Amino acid sequence: MELKGFDMNCREDDSESCEADKGKKSAPTGDKWGKLPSQPVFTGALTIVGLLVGVGGAWAIDVRSNMAGSVQLDYLHVFDADSARDFVFDGFTTELSLKLVTDFGDRTSAHVKVCYGCHGFEIGMAYVDFWLLDELSVRVGRMNPRFGDFPLRHDPANHRANSKPLPYDMGRMLRRAEWNNGILPIPYVDNGIEVYGTYWFNDRMAVDYAIHAVSGLKGNNDAFDIDFVQSRSPSLYYIDNNSQPSVGGRLAVTINIGNYTTLTTGASGIHGFYDPAATQSYLILGIDTHLKMDALVLRAEVLLRRTEFGIPDEPGAFRFDTQGRTKDFFIKQGFLAEVEYPFSEWLEIFARVDGLRRIGNLATNSPLRGESAVLRYTNGINLVVHRSLRLKLSTEIWDFSDFRDEVVAHVGVAGHF
Amino acid sequence: MTRVYDLSGVWGYILGLTIMMVGASVGLFAVGCAGFSGRRGGWSEERVEALEPEVRGAYRLFALRCSRCHTLARPLSSGITDPAHWRNYVDRMRRMPGSGISATEAKQVLVFLEYYAAQERSKRRRNDTSADKNIDEL
Repeated sequence: MELKGFDMNCREDDSESCEADKGKKSAPTGDKWGKLPSQPVFTGALTIVGLLVGVGGAWAIDVRSNMAGSVQLDYLHVFDADSARDFVFDGFTTELSLKLVTDFGDRTSAHVKVCYGCHGFEIGMAYVDFWLLDELSVRVGRMNPRFGDFPLRHDPANHRANSKPLPYDMGRMLRRAEWNNGILPIPYVDNGIEVYGTYWFNDRMAVDYAIHAVSGLKGNNDAFDIDFVQSRSPSLYYIDNNSQPSVGGRLAVTINIGNYTTLTTGASGIHGFYDPAATQSYLILGIDTHLKMDALVLRAEVLLRRTEFGIPDEPGAFRFDTQGRTKDFFIKQGFLAEVEYPFSEWLEIFARVDGLRRIGNLATNSPLRGESAVLRYTNGINLVVHRSLRLKLSTEIWDFSDFRDEVVAHVGVAGHF
Repeated sequence: MTRVYDLSGVWGYILGLTIMMVGASVGLFAVGCAGFSGRRGGWSEERVEALEPEVRGAYRLFALRCSRCHTLARPLSSGITDPAHWRNYVDRMRRMPGSGISATEAKQVLVFLEYYAAQERSKRRRNDTSADKNIDEL
């Protein structure tokens, strides 16, 4: 079994030289990788990659692997709140990700990403990518289906703010329980297939497309909303709960204007059923634009989710009458607009405005109203301590329609390796 | 329930401001100690200016395109030293939606990354040689 050009990209401080490894039959060893966590999920992920490496070796193709990771420790403090824990996960949180990418020749790659956050260890990616043409690639496995612009850089080491934008928030927004998170909590991880590609008209203009079919978000029969915990949790297995795939896609145009400006504008959509009976649908739509003028970056996104809910038999479960034409669904809208600029080699600044609005019927005991909104104003700085390490400081002003307004501060350290 | 400490009201503001000020001070001190790395996590301007014109242009394109989704520290810290591996890497990144990296530009970006890979290889060889010397001396 010939394994050509195997290069695990050992780091500068590794005791073994990559150069010396070239052309040898070798495989990653425990010594090289250091002490690994014993979690079955991590072990399983590495086993999958190990098997793929073995298959690549059996076919005598070039196999090259690269490991990367990031970590963010963040402290969230809510000013002037007696018991912030009642409405937010304040204090310290850590987000860690470890990603292993293995290229099998020029056209096939396997990606496994393990994440650690508030939910413990989870597989954030485990897929194989087949690049047939620039215009046609296929991705199968557990992946992040493409939607919007922010999910491309959801890793905390890749964005300047300590927190995610509200439409994409997963668990750290204030009044999380009352709002049931954002519109599409990121990372959105699901099992399925995605076909995607890019067509370049010339060196200046390209169109990207992606179409996916995945298990879909989950919830209970007669539920009021999607259950995002159930959607990502292994407690009900990582399987489809209703045998109805969710389908979606994204279409975007990228234009390189001059030598220093790039503009991308895209539209995304997802449709599926979240309940086991497959009667309650959701439709998520979004448009996004991203303008990069040398180092200055401007981004804006608008999202919308239309979610149908079940009508339980017991009377009085809903705040409003459920007989009308529009009484069995609600609409959640969200937006974000942000600007970031690296003032110097060590100082980056950013500002963001984002918000959510929910319109529609709701449970009788919900503290929200028929139309509720929240706006958030964020500004902050990143101090670049080292090219791989930054200190993130930001403040947020929260303006709620149904609750007391809040001011919070974040202090975080983010690094990648 | 008796609270061990109270972070509400004025004490919350004081604590928050203290955290911010201490954090900023520590950060600035660390920046001062570590030195600058270059905008967007890349190379310092002095280091870029010292490059050959062709490589300098390739670096500027690399800095512009590759900082769209992540800092430049990502690729620069990847430890990749094999030019063929960089070609795979750039091909993967080029196919990311909205990357803005055309096939022509990918070749230009590779001019810098192959230069960088050669630098890293020679640095690694030097480190290995000096480590061998240290072992011999021991």
